[in-house]
Amino acid sequence: MPKFLCLQRSLPSGRDDAEKPSPAQMQAMYAKFNEWRETFQANLVDLGGRLGKGKVALPEPAPDGPLVEIKELVGGYMIVSATTLDEAIAVARACPGLVRPGSAVEVIEIQSPG
Amino acid sequence: MTTSLGEHFFRHEFGRLVATLSRRVGLRHLEAVEDAVQEALLAAVDSWPKTVVPDNPSAWLYRVAHNRFVGELRRQARRGALDELHAAAEPEADESAPELRLAGDVRDDLLRMLFVCCDEAIPIESQLALALKTLCGFDVREIAARLFTTEANVYKRLGRARSCLREPPLREADVTTDRLTTRLPVVQGVLYLLFTEGYLSVHAETAIRRELCDEARRLTTLLAEHPVSATPETFALLALMHLHTARMAARQDVAGGLVLLEDQDRSRWDQTLIHEGLHWLARSAAGATFSRFHAEAGIAAEHCVAPSFAETRWDRVIECYALLERVAPSPLHLLNRAVATAELHGPAQGLALLEGIDPPTWLSGSYMWSAVLADLHRRAGNDAVAESYRRTALETAPSASIREVLTRRLARAGARSR
Repeated sequence: MPKFLCLQRSLPSGRDDAEKPSPAQMQAMYAKFNEWRETFQANLVDLGGRLGKGKVALPEPAPDGPLVEIKELVGGYMIVSATTLDEAIAVARACPGLVRPGSAVEVIEIQSPG
Repeated sequence: MTTSLGEHFFRHEFGRLVATLSRRVGLRHLEAVEDAVQEALLAAVDSWPKTVVPDNPSAWLYRVAHNRFVGELRRQARRGALDELHAAAEPEADESAPELRLAGDVRDDLLRMLFVCCDEAIPIESQLALALKTLCGFDVREIAARLFTTEANVYKRLGRARSCLREPPLREADVTTDRLTTRLPVVQGVLYLLFTEGYLSVHAETAIRRELCDEARRLTTLLAEHPVSATPETFALLALMHLHTARMAARQDVAGGLVLLEDQDRSRWDQTLIHEGLHWLARSAAGATFSRFHAEAGIAAEHCVAPSFAETRWDRVIECYALLERVAPSPLHLLNRAVATAELHGPAQGLALLEGIDPPTWLSGSYMWSAVLADLHRRAGNDAVAESYRRTALETAPSASIREVLTRRLARAGARSR
C-alpha cells in the first residue's frame, strides 16, 4: 500500500489558538486522539511528532532568492498508508485537532521505486 | 500499548503538580507554575498517544513542568529578573529522584495548597475560586459555570486571591503546624461550601453538581487522612458528604426534575457510600466535640438508614435539628425541626414551633418558608392561610424544577392531612 507523508502546516491567516484547553478538555482531546488512532490503526505507519527548529543546508554558493524559515510553517509530521491520496487525506482529516482554523495538513505521496 | 488514564487524570494531575511545584519554587510564582503545568499536560496529550504512557506519568509531568518553569524564568531573567531565577532554581540542586518525592509527599503538598487557598486574608469567595482552580484543575470558564457567575467575576476573585498571596510577609512561611490547626475550621468551611455548591445548587446540571460534590469529598478525604487535620469535625464533614451524595441520584427523575425525599426510590440510594458515611460518622463520635457537621451528618444518617419515609426515626431527626440549632443557630434549622415535628406529632405541633418566630427577611422571603407553612397549614385544615402561602412559595421559587416540585407537593398536601 502506498505511503503518504503528512505535514501539519500553520496557516498564516489563521489565529493562534487563543484559548488554552483546560485539563478537562485535554482529557477529552486525549480520548479522541486514542479513538482516532484505534480506528485507523491499519493506516498509521508512523505517528511522527512535532518538528522543532530547522535550517536549510545549501550548496555553495547559495542561490539567490527568499528562503523560508522551516519551523514557521511545518509544525509536525506523520506517515500514513492508504490505497489512494484521497483515503490518506481522509485519515489525516479525521485526526483530532489537525485540520482546524489556523492549521491544515499537506498530504504527499511517498513514491516507491518501480 | 496501554493508554488508559483515570477519569479525571488531567484535572487531578494539574492539582498535584501545581501543589508540588509551587511548594518547591514558592507561591509568588503561582501563576507561572500554573502555566508550566498546563504546558506539561499539553505535551503529554501530544506525545503519549504517539509513543507510550511513561511508567510514572506523574514524575514525567513534574519533570516537564519544572523544565518549562525554569525555561520561562530564564527568559524573564534575560529581561532582568536574575535573582528570581536563582531563588527558584536553587532547591532543584538536590533533585535526583523526583519519583520518590512524588510518591511520598504529594498528599502533603495538596493539603498544604488547600490550607494556602484558605488563608484568612483571602475573602471566602476567592478562597473557593482559588481552590477550584489550583486543586481541582478547573479553568475560569468551568469555575464560572460551577459557581454560577461570570468569567469576569471569577478572574476578579482569582486576582484578589493571588494578590493576597503575594503580599508580604510571604504567606507560605505561615503554613506551619500551628497555623494548620487554627486554620482547619476555615478549610472545613470552604470544603463544606464547595460541597453544598454542588449538592444544593438550583442552577447547574446534574453532572456538574455531582463533580463538585466528588471534588469536595476527595479533598476532605485528604484532610481525614492527615494527622494534623484528622479530627472528629473532619470525620463528621466527610460522613455528611458521603451520606448526602449517596442519595443524589434518586433526587432527580428521568426528566431532571426534583424528587422529594418521601417519593424517592430508596433502592437507588448508593449503599456503598452510605456504608462509608456511617463508618466516618462512627469515627467522628470519638472525643468530646460536637459540631454542626456532626448534627447534619446525624440527620442525613437517619434518612439513609430509614427503610421508608414513614418509618424514619423522626424523634432522632428532631433531636439532631435541636442540637444543630444550638451549635449553629439559624431559623432555617428551626424550620426543618418543625417539618420533622409535624411528621412525628402532627401539623399543629409543627406550626406551634414556628409561632412567635419572626423570621429574618432572607428566610421569610424564601420559597422554603412559605412552602413549609403552606404544607403545614393545609394539613392542619387552615385552607385559606395555606393557599396564600402556597402562592407566595410558587412566586418565589428560584428555578423551574423547584416550582414544579412545589406545585405537585402543595397540591396534594390536603390529602395527607391527619
